[in-house]
Amino acid sequence: MSEPALALLIFFAGVLAAALVLWPRRGILPRILTLFHMSERVRIEDALKHIHNAEYGGRPLTADALAGVLEVTRARAVRLVSLLEERGLARLEERGVTLTEEGRAYALRVLRTHRLWERYLADRTGVPPADWHPDAELREHTLSAAEAEALSARLGHPRYDPHGDPIPTARGEMPPMAGVPLAALAPGDVAEIAHVEDEPAEVYDRLLEAGLHPQVRIRMLEAEGGRIRFQAAGREHALEPVVAAGVTVEPLEPSAAPDPSVTTLATVRQGESARVVGLSRACRGPQRRRLLDLGVVPGTRISARLTAAGGDPVAYEIRGALIALRREQAEWIRVRPESGAEEAA
Amino acid sequence: MSTATAPAPLSVRGDREPALVRLGLRPDRWDYLVALAGNPNTGKSTVFNALTGLRQHTGNWPGKTVTRAEGVFANEGKRVKVVDLPGTYSLQAGSMDEEVARDFLLFGRPDVTVVVVDATRVERNLNLVLQVLEITDRVVICLNLMDEAKRHGVALDPAALEAELGVPVVPTVARRGLGIQALLQAVHRVATGEVETTPYRIQRHAPEVEGAIGELEPLVRDAFPRMANARWVALRLLSGDEQVEEAIADGTLGEEEGGSDIVASEPREALQHAASELRWRLPADFHDRLTEGIFRAAERIAEASRGGGTTRARATFDRTLDRLLTSKWTGFPLMLALLAVVFWLTIAGSNVPSGMLADLLIGRVHPLLLGVGEALSFPWWLSGFLFDGVYLATAWVISVMLPPMAIFFPLFTLLEDFGYLPRVAFNLDAMFRRAGAHGKQALTMCMGFGCNAAGVVATRVIDSPRERLVAIITNNFSLCNGRWPTQILIAAIFIGALAPAHLAGLVSAGAVVSVALLGVFFVFLTSWGLSRTVLKGEASTFSLELPPYRPPDILRTLYTSMIDRTLIVLWRAVVFAIPAGAVIWLMSNIGVGGASLAEHAVGFLDGPGLLIGLNGVILLAYVVAIPANEIVIPTILMLTVMVHPELANLGAGTGVMFELDSLQAVGDMLGVAGWSLLTGVNLMLFSLLHNPCSTTIYTIYKETGSRKWTAVASLLPLVMGIVTCFLVAQVWRLLAGA
Repeated sequence: MSEPALALLIFFAGVLAAALVLWPRRGILPRILTLFHMSERVRIEDALKHIHNAEYGGRPLTADALAGVLEVTRARAVRLVSLLEERGLARLEERGVTLTEEGRAYALRVLRTHRLWERYLADRTGVPPADWHPDAELREHTLSAAEAEALSARLGHPRYDPHGDPIPTARGEMPPMAGVPLAALAPGDVAEIAHVEDEPAEVYDRLLEAGLHPQVRIRMLEAEGGRIRFQAAGREHALEPVVAAGVTVEPLEPSAAPDPSVTTLATVRQGESARVVGLSRACRGPQRRRLLDLGVVPGTRISARLTAAGGDPVAYEIRGALIALRREQAEWIRVRPESGAEEAA
Repeated sequence: MSTATAPAPLSVRGDREPALVRLGLRPDRWDYLVALAGNPNTGKSTVFNALTGLRQHTGNWPGKTVTRAEGVFANEGKRVKVVDLPGTYSLQAGSMDEEVARDFLLFGRPDVTVVVVDATRVERNLNLVLQVLEITDRVVICLNLMDEAKRHGVALDPAALEAELGVPVVPTVARRGLGIQALLQAVHRVATGEVETTPYRIQRHAPEVEGAIGELEPLVRDAFPRMANARWVALRLLSGDEQVEEAIADGTLGEEEGGSDIVASEPREALQHAASELRWRLPADFHDRLTEGIFRAAERIAEASRGGGTTRARATFDRTLDRLLTSKWTGFPLMLALLAVVFWLTIAGSNVPSGMLADLLIGRVHPLLLGVGEALSFPWWLSGFLFDGVYLATAWVISVMLPPMAIFFPLFTLLEDFGYLPRVAFNLDAMFRRAGAHGKQALTMCMGFGCNAAGVVATRVIDSPRERLVAIITNNFSLCNGRWPTQILIAAIFIGALAPAHLAGLVSAGAVVSVALLGVFFVFLTSWGLSRTVLKGEASTFSLELPPYRPPDILRTLYTSMIDRTLIVLWRAVVFAIPAGAVIWLMSNIGVGGASLAEHAVGFLDGPGLLIGLNGVILLAYVVAIPANEIVIPTILMLTVMVHPELANLGAGTGVMFELDSLQAVGDMLGVAGWSLLTGVNLMLFSLLHNPCSTTIYTIYKETGSRKWTAVASLLPLVMGIVTCFLVAQVWRLLAGA
């Protein structure tokens, strides 16, 4: 083989080897690190968290179900439960596994760290939503209590995580579960999304795609048959029951129905005006604060003035200033279009 | 130590000093301290310059002042210290800038805060004004850009605004110095307490919020009996403001006004406990509601202070120009034409002065210095080190670097002042968005064609942390003016020679442009890769304000762009070139075992150099020329002569950099030294893709404050360059061998 060909071969072999070892999540090194993390403590903490979540939802977990959510064999789940009993953290009762006082306090500490971290990722970083939960699953075991407190202070002591779950306080207080499953609504009912479940990932991805976030208002159209149809964020959605089960809602008075005339700023064409109704929950952290500070608050009149030569962004006149917003941002801003001709130029 | 002698309240209170030192302010001599706050692009820096006579760079850009500027001036017999705070839309401490501004107002406790307000967009600016009024009483509003307001048909009644806000309002046109005297008087009166202010404070928030404030406010008063803004503190506690919480926990907030009352810790703890309880009762969109409340008040105040006269929204001239500059059909052609003109003026205009400078500094002054050395009977090594090493490297950098920068930067600054550059960012944003970057990166990239260090400084206009890092790390892929001469020379020798003589110029120019475009391609590729991998977690926001067009002030532009950009960058480059010249000369003249250090190094680097299609001389030249790309070619020529004794008749002496007048001579010389077309192509690639010069590396460190990102920005292009050259060399040899 000629010399350059050999050199190329060695180079590509080296690149391949490096990729195999270092590739995020699937590489050899990350796998070894994950195994290393999978200590007994981590298993106990995960089990406690799931038992607590089931209790909180009013349906205690059986050892079988625990094996399912932890993705371990049934025998291992049973061993884990007896370990929890030995340590006085949980009891195996007829209706399932229940936590002791001590076990509940422990579970709430883990949950607090998990949800604080999700809140942190959502508000202070650019990490995409689909990565929040997996990242928090790791952090909940590594962050110390003091670090969690510092994080809470830095975030201004948030009360809810970005999925709408309450964050237990440092003293382990948490409000009782609110809301009903989406499927429980009757056609014509109006409700506000209280919580979007982030597990399993496939279901969460579907809900993210549909733009369903806490505090989005919905109106149920049809809950019978294989699909659940409802109106939210200015359009109609249809979800399979298994996906819809990830959404918890808070029923509202029928008068609170989403206004059909409300649309997003992205639909306002050049030369037209609209008045702001609100900002989507999907817009959060620094981006939300910036839009608010630019004067994008309910009641503000916004006119689309210019479209960039590249097609996006569009420059809007907001409280006397010309501000360019990207399409993705314009979609966060809910507006009611204003009729009436453009003022004379 | 404060040496102020004036009586209270003018003296610097002793207890304020530690807080000021903590905020990075030197407590030197002054009688009162004035903070300058305001929205971005309200002419805050212009007001600062008008007050202090200092020339801080000002541009028609939202978000210019990131680091804080300070200045001292005398007014009515008092020494006044002005601190220019970062331009912010708000004081919510949501970004680095806002945090800096807020902390200064809260803990630095300036004697007077001047809020600069853009008269053309009062409503939006009032958001900040009302927030400042919540923190401090001693405020003066500087209603700037009154001329623009007039031009845009915005009628305003400053007296009505003053009545509404309860603090002095002074209309100004800071660019022309109008109203500055009145502003100084107002500042003086507020500072001395001659004028009592009665600042407007928002009294009615949403009912739930009011309820919580009502419960918390008395507790704040219990804990801090002398607190002036208890209501605001209560509000910040409810928002979970970390800094305010900390200040309450350690009692720094209680030090206000004298600091004599040592605050007991129980009421403070009770206060914090109550705040954390009350937070659970607030609505989830609490923060949104606060801003809504502020804007409702702003709207009312703006309406009440609207003067009579015409009220047309925007000048028709601006609108027509905007349509023309951002339309699909005319936007891009106009932009390309303007850029082409700027580059053409830079290249064509700098040729002559560059040649003259080189002739003067290298052709005349250098022999003169050598003569002086001889006359003073310097030993050979001293005059060699000083004049052939240090002086020559510096002279080279200046003659290559100064003329293009002195033309490019003022031209760029004129476009910036006029307000055109934000429109370029607007037009190009779609392209940059796809690569995960900000439209403003188009401009920092263009600045990079002038100088990467200046390009890195220019990224300050990008107010989103992730996109700013992307722009900093990728700036080096813009071919800076220190690298153009290398490209042009090598293209002419190796690529131009491939074409028939009458096309040679065109072909080699095409090759240089291709390399520059390849650099742009790498900007996008790397931006895309970075924003999806290592920078994924950095926070990202987008907003781009398009300021009104402003007629540029040509003289001032020339002056400030010379001072700010050209001379600062040149100074840094010279500082770094001096040791480089010394090292090059020493390496060539210190021998070990019969050969100089440089010869050893070339021998050592020849193996890896040839593997990536270069050679030991080129690699060594890039190692010693880290300080400045300008000296790469002279160093390569000098080293080539040194390691090839048969070329000795061409050189200027061991360790003395030189250039040859004719391309033919350089080409012949490199041919003898074993260079091939591949060497030429790879040198052009490596000149584009290698570590930034040390001036730029230093600037990156200053701007990011992070060793990690500096290392990434320095090593990433180097690794990419080595890999690219390696692949090109191997494939080339495979094809050539086949």
